Amino acid sequence: MKHCLIVDDSRVVRTVAGRIIQDLSFTVSEAAHGAEALELCRKDMPDAILLDWNMPVMNGLDFLRALRREDNGKDPVVVFCTNENDSEHISEAIRAGANEYIMKPFDAEIVESKFSEVGLV
Amino acid sequence: MQESTFNELADLALRNSGQHFAPTKSYLMDARLSNISRRESFATLDDLVQCLKARPNPRFEQEVAAALTSKKTSFFAERETIEQIVTHALPQRLKLSKSGILRIWCAGTSTGQEAWSLAMRIREDVGSPLASAQIEIIGSDLSTDCVETAKRGVYGHFDVQKGLSIHRLMTNFNRHDNGEWEIKDDLRETVFFRRQNLLNPASDLGGFDVILCSNIISSLAKPAKRQVLETLSKQMLPDAYLFFGPDESIEGLSSSIKPSRDMRGAFIRTSSDSATAAA
Repeated sequence: MKHCLIVDDSRVVRTVAGRIIQDLSFTVSEAAHGAEALELCRKDMPDAILLDWNMPVMNGLDFLRALRREDNGKDPVVVFCTNENDSEHISEAIRAGANEYIMKPFDAEIVESKFSEVGLV
Repeated sequence: MQESTFNELADLALRNSGQHFAPTKSYLMDARLSNISRRESFATLDDLVQCLKARPNPRFEQEVAAALTSKKTSFFAERETIEQIVTHALPQRLKLSKSGILRIWCAGTSTGQEAWSLAMRIREDVGSPLASAQIEIIGSDLSTDCVETAKRGVYGHFDVQKGLSIHRLMTNFNRHDNGEWEIKDDLRETVFFRRQNLLNPASDLGGFDVILCSNIISSLAKPAKRQVLETLSKQMLPDAYLFFGPDESIEGLSSSIKPSRDMRGAFIRTSSDSATAAA
């Protein structure tokens, strides 16, 4: 079973996204900010990461840049999931190494479609 | 909804679009006619039908029939068929083309996502022979509202996130400040939309190298299926390809078309009286 790490400072979003992603046959773990996510990745690199942008301690973009510098840090498929929905933010995320981008609000169909685009389902 | 109302609406759909409604699908009528009903201030569909009977209005009847059709679509919904068209059918047609012009008809394209998807995918084949071809895509639908939406090429937050990768979104759309996304101008140059009832002849559309008609046939009554297949087959240029939805069968419905031996999922004409109005 594939493993997805959900990184979002909102517990509600983590719970909702977690249920959707579990239904796609993933095991799910959670982190509330980028620094916590980086710690978890160093212990157990996930197959996929659903990543919010604006979070305390370390934001999503800084986390992604740090992740891609880690050993095996290029392996996880990273899907941003954020309220930052303008073209500039999307371009910046792709340049930093994001594989897909979900604009909030989202539903199960969008998550499945985006995961499908990057070969996760 | 009264049984007589269901019967009237089912007859109306059959007459105008060939669509077949089983009695168990009356909930679809409620859902699909809710906007018209609200706009015209009908409390129930029974009232709407009474009005149509009391004051016959062909234009309103057509609008109701169009509203009763399925609008369900998304970008790249028929991904495998699009790949088959771009990587096999169009290159094959290009080899036979003297003019270098290839014409595609997306018949029953609803709000246009299928036609736009095809245009996007074709444009990605930069290094292929298709890059030098002049390709025209015509999208048609029974519903004037759908055709207008398709022409506008402006789609909402949820629409552009289903079936479209972020790379395709960024390459082919501009974002509006209100969060909607609009097809870029350069993609618009090859795609055209118009209203077309597939029960009627479409000879003024000219001949096509490829026709894609997904998820239309399966919703129709048998005589309408035959009529639509006739309409489509008449617009096929010699050796052109016709594609349906992946789960749709036309077995026993038409002697004019048959499965292609060379092209998986495609149909070709059996006779030689195909469209001569070549582009």
